[in-house]
Parts: sequence; structure tokens; C-alpha cells
Amino acid sequence: MELEQFYYDNKIVKKFTYATIFWGIIGMSIGLLLATFFLFPNLTDGISWLSFGRLRPLHTNAVIFAFVGNAIFAGIYYSLQRLLKARMYSDVLSSINFWGWQFIIVAAAITLPLGYTSSKEYAELEWPIDIAIAVIWVAFGINMIGTILKRRQRHLYVAIWFYLATFVTVAVLHIFNSLALPVGFLKSYSVYAGVQDALVQWWYGHNAVAFFLTTPFLGLMYYFVPKMANRPVFSYRLSIVHFWSLIFIYIWAGPHHLLYSALPDWAQNLGVAFSIMLLFPSWGGMINGLLTLRGAWDKVRTDPTLKFMVVAITGYGMATFEGPMLSLKSVNAIAHYTDWIVAHVHVGALAWNGFLTFGMIYWMLPRLFKTKLWSNALANFHFWIGTLGIILYALPMYVAGFLQASMWKQFNPDGTLVYGNFLETVTEIMPMYWMRAIGGSLYILGAFVMLYNLVQTIRNGSEVTDELAESAPLERVSKKRLAGEGYHNWLERRPVQLTLLATVAILIGGIVQIVPTILIKSNIPTISSVQPYTPLELEGRDIYIREGCVGCHSQMIRPFRSEVERYGEYSKAGEYVYDHPFLWGSKRTGPDLFRVGGKYSDSWHLNHFYDPQSISAGSIMPSYKWIILNELDKSETENKMEVMVNLGVPYTPQDIARAQEWMTEQGISIEENLHSDPDFARNYEANKANAKENNVEFVEMRNREIVALIAYIQRLGTDIKITSNE
Amino acid sequence: MSVIYLLLTISIVIAVFFFVVFILSVKSGQFDDTYTPSVRMLFDDELVKEKDQVQKTTSKNKDE
Amino acid sequence: MTDVSACFHCGDPCEADAIVFDKKNFCCNGCKIVFEIFSENDLSGYYDLQNFPGASPKELEGKYDFLDNSAIADKLLEFNDGGAQIITLYIPHIHCSSCIWVLENLNKLDRNIKASQVDFPKKTVRVTFNSEGISLKQIACLLGKIGYAPYISLDDFQTEKIKKDRSIIYKLGIAGFAFGNVMFLSFPEYFEVNEFWLDQYKSTFRWLMFAFSLPVFFYSASGYFIAAFKGLRAKILNIDVPLALGILVLFVRSTFEIVFDIGSGFFDSLTGLVFFLLLGKYFQQKTYGFLSFERDYKSYFPIAVTRINKNGREEAVQVNEIKKGDRLLIRNDELIPVDSILLKGKARIDYSFVTGEIEPVEKESGEKIFAGGKQVSGSIEIDTLKPVSQSYLTQLWSNQVFDSNKENSFTSLTNTISKYFTISILSIAASATTYWLFVQPALAMNVFTAILIIACPCALAMSAPFALGNMLRIFGKLKFYVKNDQAIERLAKADTLIFDKTGTITANNKSLVTYEGTTLNKAEKSLLKSTLRTSGHPLSRILYSHLNGCELVKLSDVEEVVGEGIKAKFNDQQIKIGSASFVNAENIQNNLQTAVHIRLNKDYKGSFLFQNKYREGLSELFKELAPEYQLAILSGDNNGEAANLKKILPLKTSLLFQQTPEEKLNYIRQLQQDSYRVVMVGDGLNDAGALKQSDVGIAISENVNVFSPACDAILEAGKFKELHKYIKVAKGAMTIIKISIAISFLYNIVGLYFAVTGQLSPVVAAILMPLSSISVVLFTTLMTNLISQKLN
Repeated sequence: MELEQFYYDNKIVKKFTYATIFWGIIGMSIGLLLATFFLFPNLTDGISWLSFGRLRPLHTNAVIFAFVGNAIFAGIYYSLQRLLKARMYSDVLSSINFWGWQFIIVAAAITLPLGYTSSKEYAELEWPIDIAIAVIWVAFGINMIGTILKRRQRHLYVAIWFYLATFVTVAVLHIFNSLALPVGFLKSYSVYAGVQDALVQWWYGHNAVAFFLTTPFLGLMYYFVPKMANRPVFSYRLSIVHFWSLIFIYIWAGPHHLLYSALPDWAQNLGVAFSIMLLFPSWGGMINGLLTLRGAWDKVRTDPTLKFMVVAITGYGMATFEGPMLSLKSVNAIAHYTDWIVAHVHVGALAWNGFLTFGMIYWMLPRLFKTKLWSNALANFHFWIGTLGIILYALPMYVAGFLQASMWKQFNPDGTLVYGNFLETVTEIMPMYWMRAIGGSLYILGAFVMLYNLVQTIRNGSEVTDELAESAPLERVSKKRLAGEGYHNWLERRPVQLTLLATVAILIGGIVQIVPTILIKSNIPTISSVQPYTPLELEGRDIYIREGCVGCHSQMIRPFRSEVERYGEYSKAGEYVYDHPFLWGSKRTGPDLFRVGGKYSDSWHLNHFYDPQSISAGSIMPSYKWIILNELDKSETENKMEVMVNLGVPYTPQDIARAQEWMTEQGISIEENLHSDPDFARNYEANKANAKENNVEFVEMRNREIVALIAYIQRLGTDIKITSNE
Repeated sequence: MSVIYLLLTISIVIAVFFFVVFILSVKSGQFDDTYTPSVRMLFDDELVKEKDQVQKTTSKNKDE
Repeated sequence: MTDVSACFHCGDPCEADAIVFDKKNFCCNGCKIVFEIFSENDLSGYYDLQNFPGASPKELEGKYDFLDNSAIADKLLEFNDGGAQIITLYIPHIHCSSCIWVLENLNKLDRNIKASQVDFPKKTVRVTFNSEGISLKQIACLLGKIGYAPYISLDDFQTEKIKKDRSIIYKLGIAGFAFGNVMFLSFPEYFEVNEFWLDQYKSTFRWLMFAFSLPVFFYSASGYFIAAFKGLRAKILNIDVPLALGILVLFVRSTFEIVFDIGSGFFDSLTGLVFFLLLGKYFQQKTYGFLSFERDYKSYFPIAVTRINKNGREEAVQVNEIKKGDRLLIRNDELIPVDSILLKGKARIDYSFVTGEIEPVEKESGEKIFAGGKQVSGSIEIDTLKPVSQSYLTQLWSNQVFDSNKENSFTSLTNTISKYFTISILSIAASATTYWLFVQPALAMNVFTAILIIACPCALAMSAPFALGNMLRIFGKLKFYVKNDQAIERLAKADTLIFDKTGTITANNKSLVTYEGTTLNKAEKSLLKSTLRTSGHPLSRILYSHLNGCELVKLSDVEEVVGEGIKAKFNDQQIKIGSASFVNAENIQNNLQTAVHIRLNKDYKGSFLFQNKYREGLSELFKELAPEYQLAILSGDNNGEAANLKKILPLKTSLLFQQTPEEKLNYIRQLQQDSYRVVMVGDGLNDAGALKQSDVGIAISENVNVFSPACDAILEAGKFKELHKYIKVAKGAMTIIKISIAISFLYNIVGLYFAVTGQLSPVVAAILMPLSSISVVLFTTLMTNLISQKLN
């Protein structure tokens, strides 16, 4: 039982910290770019891979999975080894984890701008990347659990429970939410449909926030805040209660994203009840974190890292108080789809995740490079400019949110809407978007200041080496006094191994059978008049998904008088039966589109896509010229319909057989409608003529993407209308 | 809405998993001492100073 | 006044002769040595975490010799296999994060110590070491050397390692887990919404709820069924009977409802009820890691003693193996374990542990010595008269008072109320059912079960645990450590207070010193002080600290006659200090007060008189107690103090002196027979019997780590004058419990209205039950915090 000497692996921590800073700045820059799109919609006119719709998922994925993801790995790799007094289980797995994760980020950075997205919020990445995420995440899990098994410190500190909970739950959530049937290499349709897809998505969506943005960061808080303040955590017993109650309640709180939607009432009430209960564990964590600084407040005044931590934990407290309040049905009726939600997200993200990461890096990097932080003044500057940035970001968005909610709902005495045209609200809140852009730029300015400060620190620090430490291996005292059996031999004993493998097998087997059988014969009360999309509309829907229209337009009319008055009959669960994936959306920068079918003429749509500002002045919708010019790729249509049949959409074999001419037929009818507009007819024929002269291949309008998109848009919400006037 | 079965089963499976982990950790005495771990984690134990570094480097490659 | 700088190591004020080392000053050589040890083995971080963390190590030659005896060592070891051994040692001095740090870095002091883990609340360190390289004794000595001497007593030698009972946590975990899940599953049906989808899943939800409630009913609630069964068998209707009845009916009716698909059942109320009850039970069991209330004489006695066998060789032998006629060697500062006769050496025995008297008793060879005293002047040899278990002191423990348990003979307030509660509920249920049998028979069964369900006294059963549990915590913070919640209840009911004199109402280390005789000038005083410095006699130590403010002078040929006094010379003057006979001033007549006489050169100067000083606030305390309580002082001491006691204490306090432990015990039993409820306040081992016999035994202790006899509560000496306030707050707690029980009746009445009229739906039960529990918990916790405001 010799005293062992071993090295902590600091190089992997350095790599992850570099990645965190690098991706952090990129993610925030995209965020700032998006904010400026609100002010100058046609900033990147014509470049499809720089349009708002495609960059919004890139921003969310970059900031969540790249910036926060790398920060989590950096923090865990640093603290886990020191808490367990052991080197990581295997250096190979560590580098697989690092390079794999960077590969995934790069893949996302390529596929998302090109429009390959599954449109499910925070899970937009296509199926190959989803599989890669699962594999790398499991590699990280094995590496962590391996380290725990060969630890030299018997007690698992509270931070490690949080890391383990993060690993287990994120793995399960990711797998179940990404269940999709692939169509092509980068195209797949979600296994669930409509209301069910919404429930699973937001069961995952909320828990992605819970188990990716909160639980690991609480673990980091429990390690780094005591280390920075050099004081034990306020109450270790409270952290035990906090952990177990948080884990238990978080998993049930998904439905509060779907209040007043087509989800059945009892499911909604469930989400509300559990979200309210969520307030207590979250605040338990905040109190434990803040009160750890009791008696060390003088340190907070001077030490920038502690200042970051204080604002981070306060931000966490505010965001987790706002969350339960927002999930009260009456408050949700106001806040849902407005900018208030954006403010809530960014208070949590910028303060809690952002500032905690900055504090952690400011504390950890100098230690890795065995030197002092290059300039405390700059760090303090970053703190103040960052805090200002958060305030300037959040407050305008709160005001914008209230303004939107009230303007959408205001009625004249005679029962008509005061602000009938949705655009009036948008133009009303432009100043807030300006202030938000300024807030965002302050925040990213702080990040650049940090970058400079850290580069200087690294320059005059010494090369990062692995730190030597020594500790006695853990003597596994089993009940039988004599057989001193190691912890991992327990695992290798036959019966235990058998049970573990058996449960895994059952789980997988179960999923493969249960999922299809349950979902295929999903017995939503199909409204007789609701029919599957025609092939052209299906292609149009894929373009809608590709361009990320769901980022600004919702397709869910809530049963409120104001929404029924503005948009038409409220949405029924049955109308979404064939929607793989569902496109309810979570933000109304633009109006709800669920009943837009037939409201405007085809040529209105064409001109609107060509130049939105010309049709409705002051609109902040970007132009989509490339959809008008591109030829529609019809090669995959039959394949898509077959996949849809597997998912329960009743396409008959004849439908699939005559898909091509069905599309051309529908395309021609739309083309004729477009011809009704004289100046369109004139320059369409002109283009056709000069194309024939210098025999450039000319794509008929019926084969263009715009025709499919118009077909889909005109179909939205039209099925129910037939029944209403029967 | 039959996805409710799926969500229910997954959630219950996870919940039961965490519950079993709770029982095992209580049994193994994880929560007996509710004060010392919070102080112990403060001791940074890179205690082997540079001066021992030279004499210990031989053991470094043994360890890699 | 010389500048009194604090010792860098232990923080005690070191006088002029502080030892300066490495630019820091230390109060004694011991502290300096410890500092050196730490700085050599780069453990100097010890001083950065906390300032003045250490303690000056007492010399311990031979203190741990008994650990060499492998039979003893093996019993103490927790794990012993293949060269690796694990021992858990109790170390009273652990008090701060530096202690944790140094005790966890023991391997820096000795490479053979593999790992050491500290459990701060229990003040224990678990050392894993390689037994070839270092022995258990060496470890104990190493710890002793750095000021963390482990305390190993007979107590932790005998008791098997009791397995930690964690069943309450498992039960609470299962109940909480099931309560959360069942509430989640029963929530949709609260609003009786008949929605297309809900009708599809109703049966699945219900059967899932049933599955979750099974472990709660059969495992978590088993405690209540067993207690109810025992209660019924012993013909007393304690609180567990209605609880068990309520839980049973809840389960049966719910299962009945879902099997025949007539309702969604009351599983959420069932699991919630069990969860809140178990929460109350968990909250009630407040344990102090580092304190034990069950200590008896074993925790004083050492494990082994050195015996001189026939051919004169010394060997360590276990205490309970000593037989009549063995010759034992007792070293300085060691405890005498057996009644014996002194053979060789000058015996001066300090019985402060046993009787609280600080004045050591002198014995000549051939005289009888009682067990329990500590030899304070050099080593002596004794011949055993009786083995340990039959010695005079340990006889006390054979008294049958020690095996009767106070707890079960006392019926708590909750149980008394629950008797009437159960009877009234059963009668209401019977009458309501008969009424409904005539009006609408179908509803009768429903009403009967509904009444039993809603009348389940969950809130009633929770008021006492939470109120008293919170009181335990508050008292604990204010240094009044009570054994369990029942002790508070008994304290509130008490009407007589009995006090031991020495050590309890007197502060034995701060004696009142008065001087009679010709006053000494400055030079004489410093001469006196310097001579006193050398002697270890308790009286000289008290006198030394009393004479402050004079420098020390170098003396020549100081000679201490053990048990008599000290002689010393200083250039031409010759001084003699000591007992009257030593300083040959027999003619000076003083009554039996302890005194130290001074003779300078030829003329007799005078004598210092020692009266033990009474704790401040004593008379005010007695004045406050007098109107409501019978008061008495029982003392083993002579009645020397009777006079001034009468002056301070109110007249009606009866004073009894020369009380042997048995007489104290019988006095209290007598009082209890004529139905007084007695609180005994004592400190010495001789009060153990009285403390055990009384309704509430409170032990006063100067420092909580030092040992107090078995008792129901330990009060720190500093808080002695607050005793009346504590009792008043305890009484206040009882009234709070009564009010909160009234509140819980309110809920029951509202519930009964629904039940009797047959409209009890699951959602009403689901609202009433947690509401009543939470309101009771909030009410009791807030009120107990409120009334204890005036304590600090």
C-alpha cells in the first residue's frame, strides 16, 4: 500500500480553456451580428449562408455547446482530478473528448449555415452529428467514471455528484430527442409528430437548459467559489438536499414551454406545478453559493474573479426566480413568444454561464501558467463593462416584451384590434433592438479585453506542466475484514457485470420496439379534413425548415380572443398530425403563420420574398432572392415520402408513384397565378428570351424553390377552414 | 399523445436510477460527515515542491 | 506589566520568560518543539489557515504503553490485514481547519502512515498505517507529541462497533421519492377533467401510483405499525395507533378504488402523510457527534494498568483482569482503578473527578484508597483490595436505577392527547356510519373510511417533534446540549431543583483567595511568586496566578517536600511555604478552611485562605427560582461552607452535607415518591446515581470535551446563570405545542365536515393534509425561534 505519486493532467485543461475562449468569442460575435440584423435586415443581402434564419441556430449551438460545453469540460477536467486526487482515467479518452468535440463544433459551423437543420430548438444538428455528439459524450462519461473508480479520496465532493448527474441525464435526453429517421446524409425527419414532437422537444429543451447549463455550472460553483474565497461552502448539508431535490424535480418540468398550446390541459398544469416547485432547489443552490462569501466580502471588493462569481450567482437567482413566475399560466399568456423570454434567457446565459466561465478562467489560467494575472485592472474593467452589457441587453428586451404583449392584445371598443397590422408592434420596439445591440457589443467588448489580458498573462507565464501530487491509494475496506478487494474488482465480478449489461440491453431493445409501435399508430383524433402535404408542399416545408423561418415565425395560434381575431381559428392538436418535425416555434419576431394560407396572393408572396421592405415598409424581414432563383431539387421527394409513410403519414403507393407530375402540375398552377401580375410576366418572359439567345439553361418557374415554398405557405391552416364553414 | 408512455418510462427509469444511486451512496457512508469535505477540498495538495521535482523526475517516466 | 504576547503556537499569554525561536515567542518549551516538528516536515501551512491553532503537548511518558499489548490493540483496530491497519482515534483537541489540515497530512511526519481522514463533527481521525513500519503506540505518541493526544478509554474498548442505523434515511428517501412521483401522476385527475387523452391514460397512471405506494406502505410506514402494535399490546393508546389506522385505511380504500375503477384513490395523501411524519421523526433525532450522554465510569478508567508480577517485572494488564492481591504501579497523573491499600510512595490523590473537591487528599502507606482518584505527586505502588467492578465507586453502577429507562416510563403530551383523540374519532366514525346506514347505505362505507382518513392526526403527530427538534438545535447553539426531545418535555414539567455543591454551584478553578497576616511588600511577594512557580500543587498554581504583577527572581536550592510545602533561599532570605505543620505554626488556629502558610526567615508572616468562589449570578438565579421551585443543595463536602451559603441563598433552600452517592440517590427517589418532579444539577462522578434517578439530570462541565457523567443534558459552566431562562423557554415550547395541536384540530374538523357529509374527494384530502402539516411546521419553528430570542 505504497504512497503513490501521480501527475494532474493540465494540458487537456489548457486546451479546453483555449477552445472555450475561442468559441466564446465566435458565438458572441454571431450573436452581435444577429442583433444588427434586427436593425439592418438586408445587411448580408443575397448571401444565403449568412441569413438571419440560418445563423440563429448557429448562435445558440455555438454559445451553448461550444462556449459553455468547453467551459464545462475545462472546469471538470481541472476540478475532478484535484477532488479525487487522481489523474484522468485515460489520456487517450481525454484527447478523443477534446478533438471530437471541436470536430462536432466545426461540423455544426459548416452544416447550419448551409441550411442542414432539424429545426428542433437547441437540437438543430443533423443526425450524423447527433450520433457523433452521443459518442463523444459517452467517451467523456467513461473517462470521468473511470477516474472516479480509481480515485484516492473516498468521499465524492458535492461537485462530482453534479458532474455525474449532468453526464447521465444529458446522455438520455440527447438520445431520445434526436430520434429521427434519416432521409439522406444530412436530412432526417423527427420520429414524433406535432403535439408529441413538441412535448418531447421541450422535455429535452428545458432539460438541456437544466442539465447542460445549470447542473454542471452548479458543480463548478461548488468547487471554484470556495477555492477563490478560501472558505468552506456555506452548508454542506444544504448542498446535499439541494442536489437531490434539483435532480428529481428538473426532469418533470418540460411542459411549461407549451402553455396555452395544443397540448392537453392536464399536461400543461403538470408543467406549471413542477416548475413552481423548481424555485426552491434552485434558490437553495444560490443561497449556498452566495453565503459561502460570508465574511469574505472584503476579498470580493478587490478580487475580480469573486466579483464575477457574485454576479453569476445573483444572475442565476434572478433567472431561476423569473422561470417559475414565467411558467404561471397567466404570466405565460403575456410573455410567451415575446422578447421577455429572450431577456430571461440572456440574463441566465450572460450572467450565470458567461460570468461564471470568465471568473473560472481568470482564476484557473494564471495557475496553469504558474504566474499572476497580467492586469487586475483590465479584469475589473471587463467585469464592469460586462455587467453594463447585461443590463443594457436585458432591460430593453423586458420593455420590448411588455410592449409586444400589450400591443398584440389591445382592443377597440368595437372589438377590432387597435394594432391590427403586426408590423406596428415591430416598428414600435426598434429603439429597444438598438439598445440591445449596444448592450451586446459592450459584453463582447469585455470578452475581447479578457482575450488581450489572457494573452499577456500567457506570454509572461511559464509553460504549462502537469503538477505532481502524492496520495495513498484507497484501501477498499469490505465487510469481510480480510479480503481487501479493490473497488473495480467489485465491478468485474461476474454477476454485477451481467446485470449491468443486461439492463443496457433491455433498455436498447425496449426502445427499438416500443418507440415505433407506440408512435406509428399514434391515435391523435385525426380531424377528417386534415390531409398530408402534397409532395410540392412537403418540399416547400423543407425549404421553410432550411431557411430557419421557425426562428421568427410561430405556427401555433393560442385560444385567446386577440390571437383568434388577428390570425384566425386557434390551432387544434389534430392539425399537426403529419408535421414531422413540428414547427410551432418559440418567438414571434414576425407574425404567426398558421392561418396565413390563402390570405395573400401568390405574387404577393413572391414580391414579399424578393423585397419585403417594398411590400411592408419598416419590416425587418430579410430578402430571400436566392429562393426565387434556385432550382428545386426534386431528386429526394419519393424517398422523403417513403420515410413519411414509415412515420405513419398515409401516402398511398400511387401518390408516391405520381409525385413528380403531381409537383409539376401544382407548380404550373402557381406559375399561372404569378403570371396574373403584369410586370412579373414581362420581366419573366424577358429573362426567358435572353436566356434562350445566349442559350443559357433557363429554369422554368414551376421548377423553382419559390413555387414549393409558396405552395406550402398557401396550404398552412387551410384544412380546418373547410370544416368551419360546412 | 401516446408519447406520454415513452416520456413516462424514460423519466421513471432515470428517476429509479438516481434513487438507487441515492440508497447506495447513503449506505456507503457518503453523507455521514457533513462538514469536513467542505474544508478538505480547500487544501491544495500539489505539495511536492519544485525542489523535490529533480529527485522525483526519475519516477515521472515510470508513471507515464 | 510585562507585555503579554500570545504564544505563536497555542495563543496562551506567555509571561516575561517566553521562549523566542525563529523570531516568534512561545509560552512553553512544548509549543516550541511542536513548531519545530512542523517546520522541519514542511507543515508550516498549519499556521496560515488559522492563527493559534495548536495546544501545548502534555508529557505522556508511559501514557500509551498499554497499546503494546496486542490483545488490547487488536480490539481497538478497525481493520487489520497484510501489514495494513486502520484505527479510529478520538481527539478532543480538534477544533479548527488547521487541525483537519495537519491531521490529514500525518504522512509527512512519518512515511509509514499511509492516509488519515478526519471526521470533524465526531472529532475522530481514521489513520491507515503499515503495521511493520510503525506501531499503534508510536502513532498515539506521535499525535500526543504534536498536541493532539488521542483519548482512549475503557468505553470505546468494550462496545462493539455499533452499525450506524440509517434506516430512517432510507425510509424517508423512499417516501419522498414515491410522494413526488405519485403527486406527479395524480395531479391531472385533481380537476376531474374528462379529456380524451386523460381517459386513455387514467388506468396506467393509477396502477403506477399503486406501484409507487407499495414500498411506502410496507417499508417506510412499518415503524408506525410496529409502534402501534406494541402500544396496543401494552394497552396504551399512543399517537402511533391513529396514525397506523389512518395509513392502513388510506391504503385499503385506495387499492379498493383503483381495482374496481371507481376512483383515483388517495395514494398521494398516503405517501405525503408518511413522508411528513418521517421528516418529523428525522428532525427529532438531533445528535451531537462529539458528545455522548451515556458515559459511565468506564469512560474515565484507562484500559490497562502496569502490574508488578511476582519476580518484580512490570507488565501492562487489562483493567478488568486485575484480581484481589495484585500489586499495581500507578504513575504520576494516572487514575487509580481499584479500591486498594497504599504500599510504597507518597500518595496525594485528586478526587475532583469523583466529588468535585479540588483539594488533593493525602494518604500514608497502609491506608485505604478508593478507586476513581488521580495520583498527583510521583508514582506509587498499591495492593488491590477489590477488582474494578466491585470497587466502592463502580458499586454505584450496579444500582438498578441504571438499567431502568426513563424514556418509557414518561408519557409525553402527544400520547396523552392522542388517547382522547383516538376515542373521539372512533366514536364519530361509528355514529356517522350508523347515521348513513339508515339514510343511504351505499355511502356508509365511504363515510367510515373517509372519516378515518381525514382524521389521521398527521399535524398533531408533527407538532411535538418539530417544536422540540428546533428547541434542541437552539439550545445546542447556546451551549445547553440536551439528549433528546423528551428531556425538554420533562424539564418543562419539573417542580423541584436539586444542586450539588462542589463543582456545580462553585467554580472550582477560580477560587476566592484572601490573605490574613502582616502584609507582604513587593520584594517578598516576588520571592513568594518565584518559589510557587516550581510546584505543581493545585493550590500553589491558584496562588501563583493570583499574585500577578511582580517579576520573577532567580532562586537558589528550591526544595519541595511532597505533600508538605516548599523551602527556598534567595541571597540571604529563606522562605518556607506550605501547610501549618510544615511551617511549624501549629498554634495558628483556623477552622477547616484550606490555607497556605508563609514563614520568612524566622518570623511567621501569615496565611492565604482559599474559599471556593461561587459561580456569579448564583444568588440571582436562586432568587428567581425560589417562588416556583423547591430548592435543595446536596453536598459530599463538610459543612464548612454552610454559613456563607445561607447568606447567599433564599431561606427555604434545604442544605444537606456529607451525602454519599447512595444517600443523594435515595433523597431524590424519596422526593419522587411523594410525586415531585425532580431536576438534579451535578458535575462529579458521585452525582451519577442522582442524575440518573432524577427526572432530568443536568451535568455542568467547564469544557464540553472533558467528561461529564451520564446525564440528560450538559450545560456549559459559563451559562449556569441562564438555567432559569432555559427552563422558562422549555415551558414556552410546551405551550407552543399545545397551540399547534389546537391548530391541527382545526384542520381535522374542516376535514371531518367533508368526510361526514361523504364529499371527501382526493383533491380535498390532497390539499388538507400537506396544508395542515406545513402550517404546523411553520408555526412551531417560527414560534420556537421567537421565544428563544430572549435567550442570547
